[in-house]
Amino acid sequence: MEANRRSKISIISMILTMGAFILFLIATVINHSYSQIIMFGGLALLLASWAIFFFGYKQPQIPIERVLTIIGCKNCDYKEERQFMEGDYIFKELGPCKKCSGLSYIMGIYSVTIKKE
Amino acid sequence: MLTGLFGDDITSTLINIIWLAIFFSIILLFNQRIQIWNYQRNAERATMKLQMLAEKSKEEALANIQKFAVEGSDIKSKVNSMLDFFAIEPVDRDPFGVLMRLEHILNNRRDRIKAFVSQVAPKAGRVEAANVEDVLEAAMALNFIFKVVRHFLLLGKKTKSLMIFVQLDMQLPLIMKIADAYYKAQKTFSSGKPIGDGFGPLVASKLMFGLPKRVIAEDIVCSELNIENRRVYVIKAEGPGGFVGKPGEAIKKLIEELEGKVARIFMIDAASKLEGEATGEIVEGVGAAIGDPGPEKYKIEEVATKYKIPLDAMICKMDLEEALTTMKKEIFEAANLLLDRLKKAIVERTKEGDVVIVAGIGNTIGIAQ
Ligand SMILES: [Zn+2]
Repeated sequence: MEANRRSKISIISMILTMGAFILFLIATVINHSYSQIIMFGGLALLLASWAIFFFGYKQPQIPIERVLTIIGCKNCDYKEERQFMEGDYIFKELGPCKKCSGLSYIMGIYSVTIKKE
Repeated sequence: MLTGLFGDDITSTLINIIWLAIFFSIILLFNQRIQIWNYQRNAERATMKLQMLAEKSKEEALANIQKFAVEGSDIKSKVNSMLDFFAIEPVDRDPFGVLMRLEHILNNRRDRIKAFVSQVAPKAGRVEAANVEDVLEAAMALNFIFKVVRHFLLLGKKTKSLMIFVQLDMQLPLIMKIADAYYKAQKTFSSGKPIGDGFGPLVASKLMFGLPKRVIAEDIVCSELNIENRRVYVIKAEGPGGFVGKPGEAIKKLIEELEGKVARIFMIDAASKLEGEATGEIVEGVGAAIGDPGPEKYKIEEVATKYKIPLDAMICKMDLEEALTTMKKEIFEAANLLLDRLKKAIVERTKEGDVVIVAGIGNTIGIAQ
């Protein structure tokens, strides 16, 4: 994604530079009172191309990472998902289950990324 | 002036030509300067980012140690001097016993770091001390990367050599990736979350859960279970602290204990993937699946060769950053998949009554058993 955006920007600025070059050529060849205006047009294109090339690249958004702790029970099929807390580890015993009298424990800890557009 | 430049009298044509000449000579004469300037700017930017990462990681390490330090003690200068701690690789011009010498030096290094942690953070328990060690190691790695990159930047500036800058510039994307991975890893270590490299221990702990364990080698625990009438010994580093242990030592001891009567060894590990491969993909092969500097791998290969025991490797693919940061869901789920394949492989490749060793290799931070 990042590289894609980057190459798109450089292509746009290249096209603008080429446009500016063509305008300059026209301005040199036609030798008319318009040529000054065309020249300034080319200059503006050139400036725009530079501006896009140097400032057009924005930092991509960093995807948000969430770490989840999955709690299960040794006796029943009770399952709970919550935010990771410091001190959690996989197979840590957590005391009685909320559903039955069995022992609940941490079945898993993993991270999921949520992409924010 | 612009109209004059492109006017049709002789003087303006002359001025035109002079302008062109000046323009071309600037490009010709200053071409290399401009390139150096460009590369230098890139390298300076990268060095600044690396410096920031190194400093932040140092602060993180200090904050981590502070939690377990004696109040009023000066840990800052001690940590500062520890960041430059080094280990010299043994000479390999005479390769005889080089792995034994390497192991000795690695033991030495680890003991020194352990001693350092217990000195600056005396209130830390076994688990916390192991995590502090890992946090410190990450800070040391980032400090080293920053210093090396800065060295080449300054060297390039001093010699004004384009080639030094080009070489640095070529490697910077990979260097920055590694530095980023270490920086993120440190955050994971300081909170004690399981990491991607804990894949092997996770699979082993799923087999061991609820069974009696014994410590078999340094920081390594072993359990015995029965899978379809095969006696299976499962080993992993003792969690939930950030331990890797000495799995090679453990496998060697176990096999000697069983007098070599082992039908097969299964090694489970995380492995680095190639770009384009999927994270969490499980691949099978043969050989000692372990990414240590050499000594542990050597022990496993040696004892397996001595008793002609086949070595099976089952790995889970991930990249460096995924291996060092919080375990991703794909990797966590791959553990169940691998467990099924492991059980199938044990049934297919061994007979009833056989003895099998299953070794979960990796850092077991955040994973108990
Ligand atoms: Zn229950």
